[in-house]
Amino acid sequence: MTTGDLPAAAFASRMAADGVTLRIPPITVRVRSDVRALALQLHNVYRDYALVADADFADVDIRILRERGLRRWDSKQAHFIVDGTTPFDPFPIEHALPTFEWGLNWVFAQRMNMWLLLHAAAVERDGKALLLPAYPGGGKSTLAASLASRDWRLLSDEFAVVADERGTVLPFARPPAIKNAAIDVLRAFAPEISFGPVIPNTRKGTIAHMRVPRASLELGDAGATVGMIAFPEFQAGATIAVARIGEADAFMRLAVHSFNYDVLGARAFHMAGALVRSCPCHVLRYGDLSDAHAALESLARTAVTA
Amino acid sequence: MNHKSSPAWRIAPGQRLLFQDFEDGVVLFDALVGSTHLLDASAAETLAIIGEARGLDASAIHGKLLERLELSADALPLATVEALLQRFEAMALISVESA
Repeated sequence: MTTGDLPAAAFASRMAADGVTLRIPPITVRVRSDVRALALQLHNVYRDYALVADADFADVDIRILRERGLRRWDSKQAHFIVDGTTPFDPFPIEHALPTFEWGLNWVFAQRMNMWLLLHAAAVERDGKALLLPAYPGGGKSTLAASLASRDWRLLSDEFAVVADERGTVLPFARPPAIKNAAIDVLRAFAPEISFGPVIPNTRKGTIAHMRVPRASLELGDAGATVGMIAFPEFQAGATIAVARIGEADAFMRLAVHSFNYDVLGARAFHMAGALVRSCPCHVLRYGDLSDAHAALESLARTAVTA
Repeated sequence: MNHKSSPAWRIAPGQRLLFQDFEDGVVLFDALVGSTHLLDASAAETLAIIGEARGLDASAIHGKLLERLELSADALPLATVEALLQRFEAMALISVESA
């Protein structure tokens, strides 16, 4: 059963009572919330995710609860609680969805140290993964979302989850958070994309979450092997520029873009080395999504024939 | 740290250095503190020489470096190697061999 198989009202009731357990490969997440608007938003953007029935175990237990007090039901603030702890300050109720997403990112980055976690978007086609590591603002989420609107499978817009030295990348596909001007850019590029609500005035500006295409979820937990790494650098108005970089250069960039390189130590050192040896690495400066797609298609053809 | 006589060098106690060689440089992992550094050939070879033969002073390391890299002393002066050793010592990659 998927989230969308339940009527929205029933989903919201279940979330408020016992919580719902979602399979978000490669982990299982239990969510409980008395914020009905959040439940309805999750029902929308997580529509095609599997609901885990009678889950005895969840990797992460998240509760988003209205601030307690005499006027609890009038409260305009909510708390993010993970496994009984409250790591963040209360936040405005209307920011519940982005806070859920940021909170889950934070928990994932803190805990999932069985994998090398790169700050990168990742997409896959024909079993080969394209990693897009970037600093915030580098355009990786928008680029990954646009690729997923074509014939690429979205693995993640935030994490490249590298499982081993063979370069196996696991999915952690969640609704990409598209920000500010990029929302309209992506809407114009791919009108068929479905978004959740547009949420203004968050700490990252205006945000809309893209519903992950069903096709990206059909392979479930299946991973892909890294076939190419491109470091995107979005600059408004920039002409497309692609430059091959050396392995040592790419290695140092990956280390910088890792959430847990320091935690994994020598293991991460070997995994990063294996990654840059296994595939071509480029810097991709772009200002237009269509140009970026064309450049990546060209690189992908070259990688396949190399 | 300044040393009055030319000190002999060793890999710092408890240190474990891991290397990966690439065409555009050598990446070093400092397992003691978990940091990663990008080295050029002379820096990487310097550490390799110290790792292979404990107790060499700067002059001996310099001589081996010139041989391995096939360079002249004009291209790689002793002072450059001495400065490199000081820098490695500050990073706790190497230390002075105790008497």
